[in-house]
This record gives sequence, C-alpha cells and structure tokens, in this order.
Amino acid sequence: MIKGEQKPLPEIQGMIAPYKRVLVLGCGTCVTVCFVGGEKEVAGLASALRLHQRLSKGDKIIEEATVKRQCEREFLAEVARQIQSVDAVLSLACAIGVQAVAECFPTVPVLPGVNTSFLGLIEEPGKWSEVCAACGDCILHLTGGICPITRCAKSLFNGPCGGSVGGKCEISPDIPCAWQLIYDRLAATGRLHLLEEVRPPREWKSFSAAGPRRIVREELRVPAEDEKIRPKG
Amino acid sequence: MEVVPRSPAEKTEAIPPCQVACPIHQDVPGYLAAIAQGNFGEALRLIKDTNPLPSICATICAHPCEAECRRGQVDEALSIRALKRAAVDFGCSPTPPAPAPRGERVAIIGSGPAGLTAAHDLARLGYQVTVFEREAILGGALAQFVPLYRLPRDRIQGDIEGIRALGVEFRTDSALGRDFTVAELKGRGYRAVLLGLGLPLSRSLPLPGFDMKDVWPALPFLRDANLYGRRIQPGKTVIVIGGGNVAIDVARSALRAGAARVRLVCLESPEEMPAFPWEIKEAAEEGVEINCSWGPKRILGEDGQVTSLETVAVKAVFDDQGRFNPTFYEDRTAIFEGDIVIVAIGQAADLSCLKDSDIQVTERGQLIFDPVTLATTAEGVFTCGEVATGPGTAVKAMASGRQAALSIHRYLQGEPLTKVEEPQPLGKLDQGVTAAVIRQERQPVPLLEVAQRIRNFDYIDLGYAVETAVREARRCLSCGAGARRVEDKCIDCLTCVRVCPYEVPVVTPATSVDIRADQCQACGICVMECPARAIAFGSSRFEDMERELEQAMAKVTPGGATPPRLVLFYCYYGVNAPPGLADFLKANITPGVALVKVPCLAKLGVPYLLKAFELGANGVLIVDCGDRECIYAQAALWVRRRMESARRVLEGLGLRKEQIELVCLPEERFQDLGERMSSFSQRLGELVH
Repeated sequence: MIKGEQKPLPEIQGMIAPYKRVLVLGCGTCVTVCFVGGEKEVAGLASALRLHQRLSKGDKIIEEATVKRQCEREFLAEVARQIQSVDAVLSLACAIGVQAVAECFPTVPVLPGVNTSFLGLIEEPGKWSEVCAACGDCILHLTGGICPITRCAKSLFNGPCGGSVGGKCEISPDIPCAWQLIYDRLAATGRLHLLEEVRPPREWKSFSAAGPRRIVREELRVPAEDEKIRPKG
Repeated sequence: MEVVPRSPAEKTEAIPPCQVACPIHQDVPGYLAAIAQGNFGEALRLIKDTNPLPSICATICAHPCEAECRRGQVDEALSIRALKRAAVDFGCSPTPPAPAPRGERVAIIGSGPAGLTAAHDLARLGYQVTVFEREAILGGALAQFVPLYRLPRDRIQGDIEGIRALGVEFRTDSALGRDFTVAELKGRGYRAVLLGLGLPLSRSLPLPGFDMKDVWPALPFLRDANLYGRRIQPGKTVIVIGGGNVAIDVARSALRAGAARVRLVCLESPEEMPAFPWEIKEAAEEGVEINCSWGPKRILGEDGQVTSLETVAVKAVFDDQGRFNPTFYEDRTAIFEGDIVIVAIGQAADLSCLKDSDIQVTERGQLIFDPVTLATTAEGVFTCGEVATGPGTAVKAMASGRQAALSIHRYLQGEPLTKVEEPQPLGKLDQGVTAAVIRQERQPVPLLEVAQRIRNFDYIDLGYAVETAVREARRCLSCGAGARRVEDKCIDCLTCVRVCPYEVPVVTPATSVDIRADQCQACGICVMECPARAIAFGSSRFEDMERELEQAMAKVTPGGATPPRLVLFYCYYGVNAPPGLADFLKANITPGVALVKVPCLAKLGVPYLLKAFELGANGVLIVDCGDRECIYAQAALWVRRRMESARRVLEGLGLRKEQIELVCLPEERFQDLGERMSSFSQRLGELVH
C-alpha cells in the first residue's frame, strides 16, 4: 500500500496561515492503515491546530471530515458542500487524493498535510519499508520476489556490487543487500541458474522516461453517447 | 389464557454469564464496576433497579452468579454476594419516584421472598397491593426458618420497609382459609390474587421410633429457635437427619442452642449433599460431625427417651436415570447415639387453606398451575414461590414472584401472556485469553472466629471493609462491556489484531476482522489505537471520561483561575479507587487543578491529552496506579507511548514536552503525589512564562 508521513506541524501551520476556515480532510484507505490520514489522525491534527489557535490567540476555524477514498470523486460528493464552504482543504490523503480533491474543487486551495513516501510493506507494527517503485515492467519472477530497483541502493540489475558486506548494503548496516536476499531466495527455491543470465539494460519508457504514464482500457470505459444502446421505440 | 411463543429471530444478544445465572438477572457487571470506582451509591441504585430485597440477598443469596463468573476460569470467581453486601452497607441511593397509580387491587398471600417481589413489582407498576401474612411477622420462610446467624432480622425489616414505601399494605395474622377466602377477596375488589404459600410443613419418615417425643421436625425447631429463643438442654447430643441446607441450618442452630454434640447423618456422599459447599464447610468448622452415606432405619429408645439412630449403609442415592431412589447394603449398619433427633429431610406445602375453593389440586396434593403464566385453575388466581417451583433458594423464589407479577399485569391489562425468553450467556473464555488475564487473588470474606460463632446466634459474616470491596470488585472482567467492530467504518487495517493483549480480534474469512465480543476484556486499547475510529465500546466509559474532562475544565477555566491550569488524569481503579486517592485529592486539591477520573489509563488516548490543552490546560499530570495494581497487562506501556505522542505534538506547536508528566503511584503514597503536584505546578509556572 501507499505509505506516507505527516508533515511537521510548523510546515502545516505555515501552509494554512493565509486561511481562516480550514477543513482537515482524511482518507479512509491507505493513509488510515499507515496512521497518517485516517479519522483518528484527522482528529489529532485538528485538535493540535485548534490548540495552536488558542495559544496564538488566532481565530482560525478548524473543521474535520474523513471520506472513504479521496481519490474517487464519488466519495468526495458527500463533503462537497463542506469543501466549498471553507477557505482551504488540508488533505491528509496521499498525493493522489490531494490531486483528486484539487481537481474536483478547482476554486478551493488544497494543501498536502502528508508526504507521500513510497509503496511499501509493513515489517511490524510501526515499521514500514519500500518494496516497489511502480516501474511498470515487473521482473520479480527473475529475482525471487525481491525488487532490485527499490531494494538495491543502486537499483542494479546484475548485482551485487562490491559494497555488499556480510549480507548488508554499504550505505547502512541496517539495510540488507537486496542481491544477497535475491541470491538466498533463489538458492532456496532451486533457481540459482537465473543469475547466470545477464540482464541487458532495460527499457525505462514504462517508468518515467516517457513522461507521465497513463493506462487506458477501452473495454472498461464509460460508453460514449453514440455508443450507448437505447431501448427501441 | 393465550401464550404467544417468541420467534427464534427475537433472541437477544448474549450477556455476561453471572447475569444470566442470576434468577432475577441483576446487572452484576454494572454494580461491580460502580463498586470498583468506589461508588457504592450507584451500585446500590443498580441493584435496587432489579432487586426489591437487596439487604436479604446481600446476606443470604446462594449467589448462582459466582458459579458462572468467568474469572473462575482464570483464578477464582468474584465474591459477588459479599460485594452486594458492601453496596448495601456503604451505599445510599434515593427512592425512585412513585409510579402513576392504577385502579386495580391485587392481593398477595404470603410475605416470603416471592410474595414480596411480586408486591414490589406490581406496586411499581402502580397497582394497589395488599400482602396477607398468616404469621405475626413478615418475611415468610426468611423470618421464620432462616437462622439469625445467617440473616439478622433488621435486614429483612429494611427491605420490607422499602416495599412498604411503594404503597404496599401489609396485614399480618391474616390467614387464607382461616380469616378469609379467595372468593371473599374478589368480593372485596381484588382483581387478582397471588398465592405465595411456601412450603411450611416438615416431612417425616414412616419408620419405627420416629413418633417419639424427642424426634422433632426441622422447621418448627428453626422457627422456635429464631423467634422464641428455644434452647436445647445442656449436655444433649443432637442427631440431624438430612443433607440439605435446612439440615445444615438445623445442625448449626442446635450447636448454638446449647447442644453438646451435633451429628448430621445423611444419605448422600459428600459430593452429593444438596447443601451448599460453603455451608457444609462452615458447619464442619463449627464442630458439626457430618456422617455421609447412611440411611435411617429406626430410632431406638428406652422409656420413651431417644438413645440412638440405627442406619444402614447407602449403596446409591440415585438410580440410573438420576432419580432419587436410594438403595442400601442391608448388612452394613451403624448406630449413632444421641438424645434428640431432628428430621430435616424435606418440606411440603400446606394447601388446606384452599379447601372449598375453585383452585384445583392434584391427587397427590399439588397445586395445579400453568408453568409459563403461573395461573392456577381459578380465574385471576396465580401462584409463585416454592409452592410452585419446589424447594429452592430465596432468589429463585423472587424470580418466580417476578414472573407472576408480570403475568398478573398482563392479565389485568388484557395482554397476551408471552413467554419471556431467557437471555443467553456469553461463552467460556478461550485459553489464549485466560492465559493473558492478570491473576488477582479473591479477597476472603471475614467471618467471626469459630469459638465466638457457636456461642450465640450473632450474625457471623463481618463483611468487607470499603477498601477490600473496591479491590475485589476491580477483579471483575467486565464481560460484554468491551469493543465492538463498527462494520461500515472498519477498513480491516488489522491494528486491533496487533495491539490487543488478549488476541481477541481475529481474522476470519467470513468477516475479515472479528473482534470477539464474548472474549473482549474491555481494556480499551484498540479503541484508542484504531486509525479509522471503527471500534465502539459496550459501555459509556469513553463518553463519560470526555464529559468529565469538559466539565472539570469548565470549572477551572472561566473567571480565569490562577494559572497554571493543570489537568490531572488518574485511574479510578486499584489503589487509586476511593477512598484512597480521590479523598486525598479532594482534600488537597488547589485552585486551577481539574481532576479527571479515567477507567484505567489503557483508555487514555492521545485525543484526551490534547483535548485538555485545547480546553485551556497548561499542563497534564497522568497518575498511573503502578503495574502491579492494574488488571490490564499493557496499560502502562500504552499510556507512556501516548504521552510521548502527545509530547511530540506539543513540541511541534512550540510548547514544551515537560508540560505532560506521568507519575506512578505505588500503594499508599498519596502524599508523594501532593509534592509532585506542587513541584509540577511550579515548573509549569516557569515554563509558560
């Protein structure tokens, strides 16, 4: 899932400074699971902002709401009136949600309260790590289910590099060497021969080299007016 | 009358097993929670809500609740009866307002626990109730047969006064069949009559020697000992025949009445004896000799004086079908020497008062009635208590009185007599849960020393001290009061699964996350940690805490109480429960300090800490009761984590993390808190300026 971190309070205070009535808007999906933007976090941040108003004798009005998913316009409909009545929305969704709200309500300033960090996995409660770069051309079948693009510091395709020591990456003794992990996993599954093939440089068009990516599937699109079959008569 | 069965779909949610086991379904967890907070008045109010005889039950109830208590799976059941006693002794609760009166009059024959309960219930529904008692004193079997050392009579009187205060009229020395008939009652305007006739006759045995002068029936002996101070000639040995509670009452009363030696002889083995185990234990402590598995054969005597009881060894008391059908080893006999034999082998109804009425009785002399409605064969005449249910406990008789009162109400209002569905109990605790519950010893109920006990008929139960009662009540596991998944908000993030110390939430294919309400220990950790706020709580403890915070802050903030304004959150359980910490705080609190009770710090989430500042506090002091005292294993861990989270927020806002502090109070160290409070206030004063 998408993982994020709440922005530091001073940064948030700076962002909302020009606005009087601010809606702290939570999202009930990924950011709830990683404890940065669900109903509980919305309440906590709103409470902190109100407290700041009391301390600084400010007159801001801090409102709260949480929708199921900020990235779907249908779920935003339920707070549309509230959004249109405030001076700014402080979104605690990931950047996708922030942009969705901004696009749906083009006249309302939408501010990000969360830094969208990565696509990651929970290691244990309170600890998450990045495991996918969304590169658009998955090779996990060749690497024992371990992504070298995200988990190798150099994103090597034919690793490891000379900095792999005792199974750890040279950048930090806390970070395992992805290629050591890949080797061990392939050995455990009897697929070490996969390492004998040299992977040529890959095509990065599917990642970001060709500009913003987009997926279109015609069969799923809402039919255009002239495509619709109308009842006869 | 019509009986409408309930459809299975109407089955109610499962409730705590103590509450189900109680024949009158008292809100046991409710009043235990109140006692655990030191609020004896609220406990008594909750008790009186469903129990018209609180003092009597607090004293003699056979507490079937305790047998079902789920703490019994962990260590030992709660001492619920003794806690009810503490509520009655230390609590004071206002009388509920009088109901709107109805015109109909109801006559109740018999002032035992069944009749009294029915009188109470009908009076609370507004009926004009008259209770007719054939004896000179009220209370039925409780007043006549229950020994004084178990039930002091002022306790009966107190409960009866409570019922009288509802407008119930009592007439003593008024016997059905002797002074009036049912037909006459109806002629005098009573629209319904309830027969709570009890089982006032003692059964005897048709065996040789049982007609001798010093062979006494149990009930008259008990009545005489209780009401007229009957004594036994010094030096005499008394043999008591029977293994039930009445036999034990007789044996212990005989000791107190002066018997030199008391020998109880019964058919049953020790495990089969119908008397309650604690009664048997106390009797044995007092010196009653208990001789099990002997069946009486005859009483031997000389010159009309009893010399001994001859018995045969019992092979089995019950047959293959579990029916009472004793068999004996005829060749194995034993002689028990003694001077007096008291026969306590059973009780019977006295239905002679129904002669010449249209109330039908079976050929074997038993009252005919509908088991659901308790209606007899005569129009508008109902029955309740032991005459209907057979011999049993006072609280069982009360339940039957309640059932009869409901039937009478429906009868008088022309409503169908729906069968009341019995509530379902929560299941057993899983082993995983019981393993995680912290062990806490049951507080023993102090009794008079044995040597002191057997000298007279003084009440032997000394009752809990306030502190002991609070501590004992805290052991309650609050079954059923805990977490509930709010389906439309839960996103199955698994946080509850990960934070629960008891492994109560589980992942199931059917519902994703299932917070098993029947297993939940109500610590509240998951409620505060759930990022989607998708966990509700089975009691209002969180709402109460929030309201209390707002009210406490409203008291210290307006009018500008001298800063620093300090919120003191303290757990109201364990060592902190009144009369300890709360009393200390009341006496030592300084202006500008808001006290907020928390039902265990496991429930004190970050929002409450921040809310205190939002409402105007400059500092928060959290008073932890110390790990040893908390019933929730991980409360101390979570409160520290949450404190750190709240501190980070304060720092983000330019405040100081030192504005939140935690003080762990070991037992009996409240004076330390005074010092901590004033030094914290002083530091706060420096910090905020």
